[in-house]
Amino acid sequence: MASSSLASSSKRAFARRSPAFTKFLLASRPASTKPDDVGLYVPGGPVYKGTVNDPTTFPTPSRTHGSHHWSFERLLSAALIPLTGAAFATSPSVHPVLDGILGMSLVVHSHMGFDSMVVDYLHPRKFPVLGPTATWTLRSATVTALIGIYQFNTNDIGLTELISKVWSA
Amino acid sequence: MSLLPRLPVPRFSRHFASSAARALATPVQKPVLNKEFKIYRWNPDEPAKKPTLQSYTIDLNQTGPMILDALIKIKNEIDPTLTFRRSCREGICGSCAMNIDGQNTLACLCRIDRKEGKDSKIYPLPHMYVVKDLVPDLTQFYKQYKSIKPYLQNPNPPADGKEFLQSPEDRKKLDGMYECILCACCSTSCPSYWWNQDEYLGPATLMQAYRWIADSRDSHTAERREVLQNEMSLYRCHTIFNCTRTCPKGLNPAQAIAKIKIELAAE
Repeated sequence: MASSSLASSSKRAFARRSPAFTKFLLASRPASTKPDDVGLYVPGGPVYKGTVNDPTTFPTPSRTHGSHHWSFERLLSAALIPLTGAAFATSPSVHPVLDGILGMSLVVHSHMGFDSMVVDYLHPRKFPVLGPTATWTLRSATVTALIGIYQFNTNDIGLTELISKVWSA
Repeated sequence: MSLLPRLPVPRFSRHFASSAARALATPVQKPVLNKEFKIYRWNPDEPAKKPTLQSYTIDLNQTGPMILDALIKIKNEIDPTLTFRRSCREGICGSCAMNIDGQNTLACLCRIDRKEGKDSKIYPLPHMYVVKDLVPDLTQFYKQYKSIKPYLQNPNPPADGKEFLQSPEDRKKLDGMYECILCACCSTSCPSYWWNQDEYLGPATLMQAYRWIADSRDSHTAERREVLQNEMSLYRCHTIFNCTRTCPKGLNPAQAIAKIKIELAAE
């Protein structure tokens, strides 16, 4: 049933805005669709899970990826405002811990923002190679940045001091 | 009437008409006001042929005021192969949702711009698979709507065997959500839905999900919230607000989504 609905829907699949895309599809789309392809993402064709009368399914519920992630992201963004003010109001050399927290929060905030972009545009279900590559590149960049922030804070002048120096330079 | 000779009428009586009655031998001939409509055409019988914009010029003074009137006139008088969905012509069925001059809206609720020398471009709903011309494939949209179980779930009916009662305050929570006609204008205006419509539910479905979460008569609120606890179904909403801007019924899906997020965070 599922494979027959696939075959019938594949004819419609060419109706995209982009003509070049249609041409690409005509060239690349396999003539027969194996039943085990169901559920895989195929560019250019609506691939329904089950028949047209079945509802779509939900991923496994996980608060870590759901509400907790969202709450943490929002709280962190809101906390950055007073944190930035506090770091610049106080003397950075006296409060290296505050400066370190600011640097760390900024990196984590950026990480979550970039991660959201990877999930939006390079999700592994569409990009099985590029997606995980982007995720791990982002993770290593974040870890590197965190190490850098720590080194800069302990062995050098720290983030706030740097910005105030550049500002007045 | 006016063929009769004008009789001197005494001026002391009041008249309903302020101007003198006129009779015309011919009906009023309105001037021709031509307007060009550029309409997206694609035929599934010729899948290799590129989709094109086809141009039609009609006289607006011989057409009704809405875009749908123009489409029907074109189909009746110029090109019967032009394909589009329409039914109620008064904005309650949601069939004629399409992209008119860059805005997703209902053709029956969208007035024709009568500015001279300005054409109108009409496309199907953006980023959907096209069945033919202005007809998008809404199968996935309906499958997603079905997945949120858009019906009352309560295994314990009232003891008196009558209807579920609801306070006026609880009923008020559903205002602005139950009016949705599922025309898919909002979902197809959402960039997140464009990129991830196989996983992200989209504003229309999410607003209906909240319509049942907010309903005091429903007893499956916890399950309804729980299924949204993942990365894709709800949290691909990045508060872009295209949904609220485009809604032809003036509803606010973005607010409903924000309320779901707050309720999930408060759990």
